[in-house]
Amino acid sequence: MKVFFHHVQNAHDSLRANRTRTFLTISGVAIGIASIIAVLSLAHGATQTITAQVDGVGGNIAVIRSGAESTSTTNLINQQTQGLTSASTLTESDLTRVAHLPSVTATAPIMIAHTTITGETSTEQTTIVGTTPELLTISNVSLQEGDFIKGDNTPIIIGSQLSIELFGTEDSLGKAVTIKGQTFSVGGIIERQQNPINFNGFDLNTAALMSPPQIRSINPATQIQQINLQTNSVATLDRTVIELNKTLLAQHSGEHDFRVLTGDAISAPTSQLFSIIAGVTAAIASISLFVGGIGIMNIMLVNVAERTREIGIRKALGASRTDILWQFLIESIIMALLGGLVGGGLGLATAFGVSLFLTFDPAVTWHMAATAIGVAGCVGILFGLYPALRAAHKHPIEALNQHT
Amino acid sequence: MAKKKKSPIVIRLKSIKKRYGIGDAEHFALEGIDLTVRKGEFVAIMGPSGCGKTTLLNVLGLLDQSTDGEYKLNGVSVDTISQRKQAKIRSRTIGFIFQNFNLIPRLTVLENVALPLTYKGVRKTKRLAIASTILKTFHLGNREYYMPWQLSGGQTQRVAIARALVNEPSIILADEPTGNLDSRASHIIMEELSDIHKRGNTIIMVTHNPRLTTYASRVITMLDGKIDTDTGNVVTADTKSHRAKKPLGTAKKPAEAKS
Repeated sequence: MKVFFHHVQNAHDSLRANRTRTFLTISGVAIGIASIIAVLSLAHGATQTITAQVDGVGGNIAVIRSGAESTSTTNLINQQTQGLTSASTLTESDLTRVAHLPSVTATAPIMIAHTTITGETSTEQTTIVGTTPELLTISNVSLQEGDFIKGDNTPIIIGSQLSIELFGTEDSLGKAVTIKGQTFSVGGIIERQQNPINFNGFDLNTAALMSPPQIRSINPATQIQQINLQTNSVATLDRTVIELNKTLLAQHSGEHDFRVLTGDAISAPTSQLFSIIAGVTAAIASISLFVGGIGIMNIMLVNVAERTREIGIRKALGASRTDILWQFLIESIIMALLGGLVGGGLGLATAFGVSLFLTFDPAVTWHMAATAIGVAGCVGILFGLYPALRAAHKHPIEALNQHT
Repeated sequence: MAKKKKSPIVIRLKSIKKRYGIGDAEHFALEGIDLTVRKGEFVAIMGPSGCGKTTLLNVLGLLDQSTDGEYKLNGVSVDTISQRKQAKIRSRTIGFIFQNFNLIPRLTVLENVALPLTYKGVRKTKRLAIASTILKTFHLGNREYYMPWQLSGGQTQRVAIARALVNEPSIILADEPTGNLDSRASHIIMEELSDIHKRGNTIIMVTHNPRLTTYASRVITMLDGKIDTDTGNVVTADTKSHRAKKPLGTAKKPAEAKS
C-alpha cells in the first residue's frame, strides 16, 4: 500500500514533468468519452420526454395500433415506418365498436397524411391528421384560440408553428388555407407544445388537424393508424383492455393483427428505437475512444523507452517486476481517468449545447458518470498494460546500459 | 585475528560461468569463478577491460544470472529463486554504487536517497527522515533539495553512496566508483568507502586504478573471465594462507595452461 502511494506520487510527478504530452494524451481520451456521453445523454433525454408525456396524460389511456405484437429489432423498425409502407388493419367500424364500450369515455382515431398546405405567405410540406376533438382531451392539449368542432365540414385547426409559417403570425383565426385545391378555414390554433416528440407519431406544432371525412376527401386512401382512447377511471383500464381485445378479435374474425397498449408500452417502440439509435451512435463514437486509448499506449511506450535507465536503476535498488509494472500502469490509468472526468464534463456541455437546437433536454444520470469513469479506467488498464509489461520485463543490466 | 576467522561467509561462488551468445558467437565472460568473501572484507577486483569484472559484479548483485555454477549468498543458494525474491534480496542485502552515479534526474537528492526504502515498504515521512539522517553523515545535509545535475561529480557519488547504504545492506557492490571523478574527488570517495569498511561493512569494488587497491583489504585480479591472482586477506596473515589456497589454486591453472 505504501508502495502504491509512492507510485501515485511518482506518476503525478512524471505527468507534471511532461505537461504538454500529458494534456494531449488526456484530450484524446476526453474526446472519446465526451462523444459517448453526449450521445447517451441526448438519447436518454429524448426517451425520458416521451415516457414523461405518457405518464403526464394519466393512467387511463390506451392506444390501439395496427399490426401484431412483436419485440424484435427488425419489427420495431418496421413498425416505425409502417405508416409509409403497409396498410393498417384498423377500420372505421373498429372505432365505432370501441367507442361503444361502456367504460370508454373518449376515443380519437389518428389518420395521418403528408401533403402541402398553402397559406397567405407560403406553401409548406406538412402532416395533416384526421381525428376528432377528443384527441385534444386524451392528449391533454388545449387550444390557444378558437375551437375544434366535431363535424364533417368544420374549420380545421393548425399548430402554432405551422400558423407562423403559413401566415407569419400565430393569430390566423378565420383565415383560409388551401390543401390540394380545397379551401379550409382555420378554426383554432393549438397551444405551443414543449414536447413535440410524442407517442402519436406527429408534431402538434406543425400539424393540421381535421375531421376524418375531410382527410378522406383530400386523400381517400388514408387509413386509421392508431386509436387513442380514455377510460372513465384508472381502475377500469385493465378490464377495458380485455374487453377491447375481445371486441376487436371478434371484429377481425379471430385474427390478432392489432395491439392494445397501455402505460409505458405506448411509448416503448419510440423509446426503444431511440435506445437502438443511441447504442449504434455510441458504438461509432467509441471508435474515437479507441483512438484515444492508442494515444495512451503510444505515449506510455515513449515513456518506457525514455525511462529505461530509470527502470534499470530502480531494479538495481530493489524494485520487483510488479513494482515497475504498477509504476507505469498507474500512470496510464491516471491519464485515462483524467480523460474520463474531462470528457464527461465536455460531453455534457456538448449535449446541452446541441439541445439548444433541439426540442428536448439531455438527461443526466449517475449511470452515465459511472460509465464514463469506468470505461476510462478500463481504457487506461487495457492500453497501459502492454507498455507496463514491457517495462517490467526489461533486463536490469540492459536497461542500465541504455544511454538516453 | 581469531575474530576474523570467525567472521561468517557472505558470498560463496563455485565455478560460476556466464555465457553470452550461442553457437559460433558463443563467448564466456566468466569461465569458472570460485570465490569466497567473508563479512567485513574490502575486496578490490582489478583487471583489463573485458575480463569479466563487471559481469562478475552483476552476477554478485543478482542483476544478471550465471549460466552455470553455484552462488550462495548468506548461505542461501540464489540461482534458482524467483525474480520476486531476487528483487527482495537486492532491496535488503545489496547496495549498488555505479561509475556514472545513476541517480534519477527527476528526483531530488533526498528522494533519490530515499528510493531504496520505497521498495522495502517504508512510509514516506519515515523514508525521508532516514534519508535525511544519512545524508547528514555524508555532509550533504544542505544539499537535500538539490537536483542531481546541480551537484559536482564528487557530491553526486557521495549521494549515490548514501543511497547504497540507506537500506543497511550486508554487501556493497561498487563498479568503478571513482571512474568519472578527478583524483581529489576520488580520494574523498575512497576515504568514505574506507570509512564504511571500517564500520564493518563488506565492500566489493571493481576498479581500473591500481592506486585505489591500497584502500582494500584484499585484491583480486581477473583475466579472461578467470581469477588471475588473489592476495587473500592481507590484513590477517594467518587466515591468508588458509583462504588464499582456493583462489590461488585456480589462479595458477590458467597460467599453467598458457605456458
